[in-house]
Amino acid sequence: MTEIRWHSRAGQGAVSGAKGLGDVVATTGKEVQAFALYGSAKRGAALRAYNRIADEQIFNHAKFMYPDYVLVIDPALAMTDDITMNDKETTKYIITTHLSKEELIKEIPALQGKEDRVYVVDCIQISLDTIKRSMPNSPMLGAFVKVSGMFELDYFLENMKRVLKKFPQKIIDANMEAITRAYNEVK
Amino acid sequence: MQDIKLKATEKRGLHELEAGKDLLGWDEVTQGSILPSFEGDASNIAHLKQEERDYSHYNSYTATVASWRVVKPVFNMDVCIDCQNCWVWCPDTSIISRDKQMLGIDYDHCKGCEVCVEVCPTNPKSLLMFNEHEDIENALSQWPEKKKKEKK
Amino acid sequence: MPKEIFELQDREVWDGNYAASQAMRQAQVDVMAAYPITPSTPIVENYGNYVANGYIDGEFVMVESEHAAMSACVGASASGGRVATATSSQGFALMAEVLYQASGMRLPIVLNVVNRALASPLNVRGDHADMYLGRDSGWIQLGAFNAQEAYDLALCAFKIGEDHSVRLPVMVHQDGFITSHTAQNVYPLSDEEAYKFVGDFKPVDDMLDFSRPVTYGAQTEEDWHFEHKAKQHKALMDSRPVIDKVFEEFEKISGRKYNRVESYMMEDAEVALVGLGTTVETARVAAKQLRDEEGIKAGVVAIRNFRPFPFDLVRDALENVKSVGVTDRSSPGGAMGFFFNEVSAALYTTPKRPLVTNYIYGLGGRDFSIEDAKNIFREQKANADAGYITTDIQQFSGLRGPKLGFFQTKRS
Repeated sequence: MTEIRWHSRAGQGAVSGAKGLGDVVATTGKEVQAFALYGSAKRGAALRAYNRIADEQIFNHAKFMYPDYVLVIDPALAMTDDITMNDKETTKYIITTHLSKEELIKEIPALQGKEDRVYVVDCIQISLDTIKRSMPNSPMLGAFVKVSGMFELDYFLENMKRVLKKFPQKIIDANMEAITRAYNEVK
Repeated sequence: MQDIKLKATEKRGLHELEAGKDLLGWDEVTQGSILPSFEGDASNIAHLKQEERDYSHYNSYTATVASWRVVKPVFNMDVCIDCQNCWVWCPDTSIISRDKQMLGIDYDHCKGCEVCVEVCPTNPKSLLMFNEHEDIENALSQWPEKKKKEKK
Repeated sequence: MPKEIFELQDREVWDGNYAASQAMRQAQVDVMAAYPITPSTPIVENYGNYVANGYIDGEFVMVESEHAAMSACVGASASGGRVATATSSQGFALMAEVLYQASGMRLPIVLNVVNRALASPLNVRGDHADMYLGRDSGWIQLGAFNAQEAYDLALCAFKIGEDHSVRLPVMVHQDGFITSHTAQNVYPLSDEEAYKFVGDFKPVDDMLDFSRPVTYGAQTEEDWHFEHKAKQHKALMDSRPVIDKVFEEFEKISGRKYNRVESYMMEDAEVALVGLGTTVETARVAAKQLRDEEGIKAGVVAIRNFRPFPFDLVRDALENVKSVGVTDRSSPGGAMGFFFNEVSAALYTTPKRPLVTNYIYGLGGRDFSIEDAKNIFREQKANADAGYITTDIQQFSGLRGPKLGFFQTKRS
């Protein structure tokens, strides 16, 4: 069982990101779960989204988890939200930031000592460059593909095209570029 | 018009409507207390008169509430102008009228409320209340004369 | 027939709402009257979308309230169409009056209930307060524990309710957000298979049958009302074999078997947890772990079809365990939880009479974790070992503040 926790703000696409990831993972024959905690949350409110991935049917419906991956797609939340909550000695962090890894960890004491498990990528800038608006979910998926090694990039891109098929070609292309760039830029 | 066989069934007031009578067990009542109004196929009966329709025993047409009444309206066709006021106002659809012509009263469903008398505009009234046991011929023989306008 | 064909994969990733709406599409619901409310909104929204885009030959009726929504459903169903809608929480509460009309008139409407807490305080998240409110309304009530089941049971609901020996409305419950907004693998049937399973709608006493005009909503008073309600109750009780039969037929086409009472790891269980909704699946994980890690013989019983209440099956499932924790995800309002009361009544008529305790949990969507379930099992194990209830009989699980509980076992 692989468990993933997304830290995001309402409107940044963590829910769509989690569902998109679930959609692609399911094509590999695995069982997935994608959910989020929101409801009356307004745009900009902090929210968490979750994925579970397993070979067998997933029965656990609790939001409580010891995450294998923590994906932070808002730069400020990395500082203010409890991103290391219930983590494990193997938990990997992928954090959106314009800072270097060293600068970021200096700002977040909870990450100190976990340097080898922290990855940074500027999903905000990548989405501004490619999708032309702040939509950090797609780049985060690219970074996750790289860090997790769960898929080949090409396989992931092909399947994301299907997930995004209701959108115009221009938007699909921009998302593919965003995923690819983050895949290459995550450190 | 559909070619269907006209038959006079005249099922009006066949049974007394009273509480505690003809009660059925839970296994005999209709599903969902849904009640069919007619026996058999009721297609194309819109043009039939009430007395020609095959009403079911669930329909109030087949029940009588005559015994609920202690005074009854009597209709005097010699005075009536067929204005249809009573037909419009009767709360129990008990004024029988055909082609805008008053024929009489459905005594199976009339409860003796006197609304028809109240709304009758003729002078004297074409409908008057009498004791339930009063003979109709006798009632008609006692009909009042036209009232003269009272001088102010 | 619909103008457009919907493209389906063998394996989809759907949330519970989407899954339920796909069942509405495949059953080709003729009329849906709805007043959308969180978290069930996407079910009716998607139906409207399918109608507008030609995937359903049906009618979406916009109304001014949930009371009107169910009233319009009653009218449409009495007219002779396949009818469904969805609601939650306050919307369900506002429908309550008309729920009784629908069941009393024996109209096989399908209501997707996405369970949500009842205000006050206001809360959009899931507990079972609305579901409990419907328990005396004369509807068949089925509980789904994940998105796949929300889809499967919605299809079964039409076939059960519309069976001429049943003719009763059916609710399919799913947990708000935890099921309704959680995407999981769902393996849908093809449109052909699904529609063939549900079958054409065969009306009874339909008001649009001009050859046989009928009166709906007759007045009865004391000399007839009792007989009609008894007949209705009998129909509800007699729906049990039909539900079993529909579940068997569904297994043949899907490979997925549903039971009115589900038992997991109960063959040799010493202690059990009884629940409904997503909690059941989380508790199954906890029971498995406890067996492996602590040697506690834990099992889970889920009352999937809790109206008509499977009194005998609950008894069969639980009579050989020593201690049972019954979970209620609804504020009990000054009583023991409703599930606790019903399960206790069933177990009272067994020779061994297992110990039964009550856990109020998860109100307003409060998370129910594997560890929470384990604690319930561990307390049952302590009861089993002691031979009496070692805790308060009613406890609150997952609540902040001083421990809250009521009533103790009378031991002398």
